[in-house]
Amino acid sequence: MAICVSSTVADGAAVVAEIERRSGERVSACYQCGRCTSTCTGSFAFDYPPHRIMRLLQLGQVDEVLNSRTAQLCFDCMTCSTRCPMNIDVANVIEHAKMIADELGIEGDEKDIRLFRLAFLQNVRRHGRLHEARLLTWINLRSFKPFNDLELVPLILRKKKIHIVPPRIRNRRLIHRIFREVNGGDES
Amino acid sequence: MRIGVFVCQCGTNIAGTVATDKVAEAALSMRDVLHAETLQYTCSDPGQRAIIDAVQKKGLTRVVIAACSPRMHETTFRRTIGQAGMNAYMMEMVNIREHCSWIHSDIDIATDKAIDLVQKGVARVRRQVPLYSTTVPVTRRVLVIGGGVAGIQAALDIADSGLPVTLVERGPTIGGNMARLDKTFPTLDCSSCILTPRMVEAKQHENIRLMVNAEIEQVRGYIGNFEVDVRKKATCVIEDKCTGCMICQEKCPGKAPDEFNAGVGQSKAISIPFPQAVPMVAALRKEYCRQFINGKCGVCKKVCPADAVDYEQVDEITTEMFGAVVVATGYELYDWREAYPDYGGGQYPDVVTSLQYERMLSASGPTAGHVQRPSDGAEPKQVVFVSCVGSRDESVGRPLCCSVGCMYIAKQAILTKEHIPDSQSYVFYIDIRATGKGYEEFTRRAQKEFGAIYLRGRVGKIYPSNGQLVVMGTDTLSGGPVEIEADLVVLATGFSAARGAGELARKLNISYDQYEFLSESHPKLRPVETTTGGIFLAGACQAPKDIPDSVAQASAAAAKVIGLLSRGEIETSPMVAAVDQLRCIGCFKCRDVCPYNAIEALELRDGRQVAKVIDTLCQGCGVCNVACPPSVVSLKGYTDNQLIAETMELLR
Repeated sequence: MAICVSSTVADGAAVVAEIERRSGERVSACYQCGRCTSTCTGSFAFDYPPHRIMRLLQLGQVDEVLNSRTAQLCFDCMTCSTRCPMNIDVANVIEHAKMIADELGIEGDEKDIRLFRLAFLQNVRRHGRLHEARLLTWINLRSFKPFNDLELVPLILRKKKIHIVPPRIRNRRLIHRIFREVNGGDES
Repeated sequence: MRIGVFVCQCGTNIAGTVATDKVAEAALSMRDVLHAETLQYTCSDPGQRAIIDAVQKKGLTRVVIAACSPRMHETTFRRTIGQAGMNAYMMEMVNIREHCSWIHSDIDIATDKAIDLVQKGVARVRRQVPLYSTTVPVTRRVLVIGGGVAGIQAALDIADSGLPVTLVERGPTIGGNMARLDKTFPTLDCSSCILTPRMVEAKQHENIRLMVNAEIEQVRGYIGNFEVDVRKKATCVIEDKCTGCMICQEKCPGKAPDEFNAGVGQSKAISIPFPQAVPMVAALRKEYCRQFINGKCGVCKKVCPADAVDYEQVDEITTEMFGAVVVATGYELYDWREAYPDYGGGQYPDVVTSLQYERMLSASGPTAGHVQRPSDGAEPKQVVFVSCVGSRDESVGRPLCCSVGCMYIAKQAILTKEHIPDSQSYVFYIDIRATGKGYEEFTRRAQKEFGAIYLRGRVGKIYPSNGQLVVMGTDTLSGGPVEIEADLVVLATGFSAARGAGELARKLNISYDQYEFLSESHPKLRPVETTTGGIFLAGACQAPKDIPDSVAQASAAAAKVIGLLSRGEIETSPMVAAVDQLRCIGCFKCRDVCPYNAIEALELRDGRQVAKVIDTLCQGCGVCNVACPPSVVSLKGYTDNQLIAETMELLR
């Protein structure tokens, strides 16, 4: 990973600005104290610990961020956001990087995790709450492993852990609005 | 009325955008103007001589100078026309540089504007009356508030010049925070060895009167003549009788927290803070004393060989006059406990503050210089230092840098190695700020010679595990999280203003910032003055500072005080508010809004109450003019007449 600041700042500036606009955070506020990384619960599995994600964004190195395992793996425990001395919601920044990676169709190395997340969000968006049967089927088909965990199906059906009929919620429009607002006003 | 107008070219600064000769020509047609000329540099010697010549030859009675901002040269030109034999205030400066030539590019427009501005200046100066400044005698005595190193330095410097000084200290001894330090950076000399001679000198100095256990109750008056009430708190010990034998402290059964030792170890209800205290006099804290809690004990009174204990003592308030005040109230450590639950919030005994660690290192401290873990008394082998606790942290509302943390951590890391040779120190830092003389070399020494390992990152969390503390941190230089099992964690806590600094500032009528650090008058050019004349700042009460800076500022404040009082009397600005007493309705709205307490009530012979301005106190801010319902308060040199005339000219 060569860092060539002069070219990348210009290239990545638009994406960084978009992340800042949607998340409402200023990446330039970070002074690299590293406290986010000190308590990051997931950094053992990350390629870039959170403070380096912030630094890469400051330098406009968007490709590194959007393709990182961190963007895919961060599970939003929000410890970094809680402890940031500059009041930056670091997890929120990473979350929006993750969403922009999705929009640009960047798959990254953690394909299964990305697939699950997208399937989960699509499912919730559609039904207003999780419909497990559809989620599992969708994932199995999309990951080309149709028979994965199939032996468990009779058992969970008998125990009524999942339902064949999708759940109904009262105000599905509200769910759509939440999604719209989180996406920074874009209908996507 | 004979008015002269002088238009300055200021090289090309003005002449580049304003046709100055046209301005002078236009000025000649203005009412009462009988002389107008342009000058290349009006502030230069030839320029000033031209003004004097014109005044004397043509018998001018008023002068308008169209040049730069009055902030630059108003005093220059006042002196000039004073030399020409006029009243120095019969002059008006019109700003055609900052307000005109510098901000415009079109010559015609700029010239028209300059003419308008000159017209306005002429209108104003026509209504000017001669003003005379007065002088007031000063009280040649000085009050120094706070007996830390800055207060001591200021008191000694002032006293050496022959002025009597009263040094008021809130605590039972002078010496302040410096007396609690073990060593000082970057020289590693013993703090009390260099401070105690100064403390003793302050006590022995013929011109210094020490008042310990005393606080400022109220301040009245103004520059040169402050009337100050000082409350001497009852300590139940007669100061003149106490010999400092410490027998009372030995025998006292009442346990009390040890404030001098930052809570490490315990003290007694009657005690002397430390063996080199000045004055060496015991003080009793009633809140911990059995005599006052239970009504029976009286041990100290019985054992005192000097018969110095007096339970009946009450607070005494004395009132004295001072010509100048030096405020040196210093700092205290930021109370980190509530803001940092992630560091244990004070629940883990082995997480200590830097000042507590300082007392543990000190030979005169409660552990006699043996570093011990507070939990079990064992000698720590792994010591972790955490920088910037309560500094550079917006999430707890303290974005400021404490300015000394980096240095005292390096010092304490070095001392740790000296005390425990087989120990290892780790320092978590964000940036190393070592800008003083010899400071950078000192922090390098801590790493190179004393093996302290510096890790670049802020600590996220500290938690106990198997009798040790696990410090979760980061080293951003190697790229990731690190965990260290520590025996002792030292937090480099930031500075807060001393408790009650804001309250004192309100009594003194000086300004302070959101952290209650007292504000200087100008950050660059008036760093020791306050916004109130005659009150000066020294040391960490203004902003976090190390010892050399505090001492330097104290000497600077002393120089200002000596300069002020050496003249014996003070010339006051004549541009102050004045009340038309015939028309004053006595509502005293002016007195309510005056930020300088410069308005008092005056009873006329017919018994009517009217407002009166104390000229020496008034700073000419003009708030009273606005507040006065019948508009009878006006500012000399800025009367309603003058301002309206100016405005009318511009609106014409």
